[in-house]
Amino acid sequence: MTAAAISTEHLTRRFGDLLAVDDVNLRVDAGQFFGFLGPNGAGKSTTIKMLTGLLAPTAGRIEILGLGLAERPVEVKRQIGVVPEGMALFGRLTGAEYLNFVGRMYGLDRETAANRAGELLDFMQLADQPRTLVTDYSHGMQKKLALAAAVIHNPRILFLDEPFEGVDAIASGTLKAMLQRMISHGATIFLTSHVLEIVERLCSHVAIIHRGRLVAQGSLEELRAGVEAQASGALPGGATAKGSAPVPAEKLTLEQIFLRIVGGSRPQAEELSWLG
Amino acid sequence: MARVSISPQARGQFAAVAKLRRQLFVNSLRTIRGRLELVSRAIVGLGFAGVGFGGAFALGSATAFFVSRNEMEWLALLLWPVFMFWQLFPILATAFTENFDSSNLLRFPLSYPSFFVIRVTYGSLDPATALGSVWLAGIAVGVGFARPRMLPWTALILLAFAILNILIGRMVFAWVERWLARRRTREILGVLFFLILISFQFIGPLVNRFGRGIRPAFGHIVMEVLPIERLFPPGLAAAAFAQGARGDFGMALFDMLLLAAYGAGITWLLHLRLRAQYLGESLSETSARPATPAERSSIHRGWVVPGISEPAAAIVEKEFRYLSRSGPMLFTLVMPLVILLLLRLTPSHSGNADAFLVRTPDLAFPVGAAYALLILTNLVYNNFGADAGGVQLYFAAPVRFRQVLLAKNLTHTGVLVCESVIVWLAVCFIFRPPALGVTAATLAGMLFALLVNLTVGNLLSLNAPKKIEFSSFGRQRASNTTVFASFGVQILVFGLAAAVLLTARSYGRDWLAAILFLMLAAIAFVIYALVLSRADEMARAHQETLLAELART
Repeated sequence: MTAAAISTEHLTRRFGDLLAVDDVNLRVDAGQFFGFLGPNGAGKSTTIKMLTGLLAPTAGRIEILGLGLAERPVEVKRQIGVVPEGMALFGRLTGAEYLNFVGRMYGLDRETAANRAGELLDFMQLADQPRTLVTDYSHGMQKKLALAAAVIHNPRILFLDEPFEGVDAIASGTLKAMLQRMISHGATIFLTSHVLEIVERLCSHVAIIHRGRLVAQGSLEELRAGVEAQASGALPGGATAKGSAPVPAEKLTLEQIFLRIVGGSRPQAEELSWLG
Repeated sequence: MARVSISPQARGQFAAVAKLRRQLFVNSLRTIRGRLELVSRAIVGLGFAGVGFGGAFALGSATAFFVSRNEMEWLALLLWPVFMFWQLFPILATAFTENFDSSNLLRFPLSYPSFFVIRVTYGSLDPATALGSVWLAGIAVGVGFARPRMLPWTALILLAFAILNILIGRMVFAWVERWLARRRTREILGVLFFLILISFQFIGPLVNRFGRGIRPAFGHIVMEVLPIERLFPPGLAAAAFAQGARGDFGMALFDMLLLAAYGAGITWLLHLRLRAQYLGESLSETSARPATPAERSSIHRGWVVPGISEPAAAIVEKEFRYLSRSGPMLFTLVMPLVILLLLRLTPSHSGNADAFLVRTPDLAFPVGAAYALLILTNLVYNNFGADAGGVQLYFAAPVRFRQVLLAKNLTHTGVLVCESVIVWLAVCFIFRPPALGVTAATLAGMLFALLVNLTVGNLLSLNAPKKIEFSSFGRQRASNTTVFASFGVQILVFGLAAAVLLTARSYGRDWLAAILFLMLAAIAFVIYALVLSRADEMARAHQETLLAELART
């Protein structure tokens, strides 16, 4: 068994009466491109915040690269990069100033921080507007800048919360190329996304969280096999129950797997009859 | 010009905005922090109520006195302070001023007149308007008491005067925000201000040279100025009242017409700004021009700050960059000099308490420095307010929170040092160079006060953060809990400082004050260091509050 880059034991988070994350045991091996999926409000962002030290768990344990996050937060944070939900940008800095700042916050010396900032701005095609403040960047540009900031210290694990949201096709291609390159150099990437096609194309392993509980975890093939076995096992002879889709002859897509696991259908008749 | 729409749809929109504000208030009470805010607001409100009703009583009594003696023109003497307070307080005390951010309204199908009314109405719900209105009510009661028949006419004049004040206040706010948002206009304002400052150094020599001839001329100057004073809103309102009292309603109506003309002019100026905002104006000061090859190849390397770690140096640099890009904050940093100028302007022979600095110029440096420290509390008591979502980086990056706070404290100390030097130089220009003992005692006192404020500021920054818009005027307001706690700290610090200074004066030794202040500073430093050493635990304990308040979108 390979070493776990990320592992959690009984990870739990409550907000008052709401159990946002319920006893999650997660394992992500080093070098994996890991997709963390779930419907809105399932607990994805809460989990990623806990894994990156942005939110304290109510209970449970988190280990990153074998180090306890609670016990050795600074050592852990040195090894990870994160693009959180709100992107953690400082709007009144320029892109170069921001990257420089983040690099130095992660302990890079001035020279290295400046050089990497320049390279990243070029790579992300953000170097054309050196005097523009981050607050005046478009959403896609801010996303690219946040991603550049997350990798400036060459982290071993990268946490990305919806990295492709609001990013155009060109920028999306740039980001994917960069992420693939990191994976090929041995980094681990943990991302959440609602764009299941991208997750399917990029990720080797996936976990699905639903109503705070981890309901599936494994490689795409393992998940596919599990869903197919469940469908055929529950309904012998290939028959389908009312309201559930038949198992198609071709391979199930991640979207189909996801919908089967979390149950995605919703009766549409007579809803919003006034609309359109 | 704005034409106020009162269509059913517009009425519904006004009601919806009112309901929204009410609902935001009710929702804020769900948390302990929100309830604490309410308590703080109530206590601060009580203070304002005391000032408001006390002032109203004084103004009402003075009005009754003047009216009963048939000296109606003297009402101008009462209306001018109300007018000046109404216009200057929101700029001088931004901690109590909240500029209504209406940019979110633009997405709704809101007509421009409705937008105008909402901006003016909800933007005017501030202490200056409340106090000004109560004081005008006091004047109305005074008139009613002395001459009841004049009450309807007085009420009409004062209502017009109040509306004019609200419009001027909104207009000034909107334009100052506009000018401070752009580097070019900000620099022009700065140059103008410093030209005025430098011109003051000529007052002393001129008065000395022509002093003997001034007294006879003074009466002449007053006679020249009085007709000019009558052309301004307070003078016009007082004149309208006096003409009405004499039964000369023709002239009274003419004065009211002039007031209305002012109103129209001010409304037009306000309309220019609000129309631009309504059309989606962006006050960004940066240009999106393409980079030159030189700019592309030269990435700035970051500042070196000796004696502190790389992350802390990066934070110091970032803080200074933020400050340099905040027009409103730069403006407030200039305010100590404005106060010194205002105090210098007050004639020493006027008998006015404000003239004390002219009589005792040695106090000018302590007063200016103390005001500089007060201004700095805007920053110190809400360390993370301007970082907004960026605060997440401090939790995600491998840095200790004590480093973050230390770096921010160093920045603020640097700002105060610069401010103190500028104030010292200004005092030299405007008054005279402060004595060495006074300078030493002031600096030692500042050190003590700074350490106390930094300590409490760090605690409050973690406990009661509030997201602020650094670039917009009037949106740098801290939480009420912070404002209230800041009051308490300043009362304590200035009380102690007064005790120390009195002790030193009683012995006739300014140096004694410096020594006592240094001893107090040593105690304050121990407490500061203790709080700083616990910063990481406190940040963890308040992590959710910080992120929920600052990183919300």
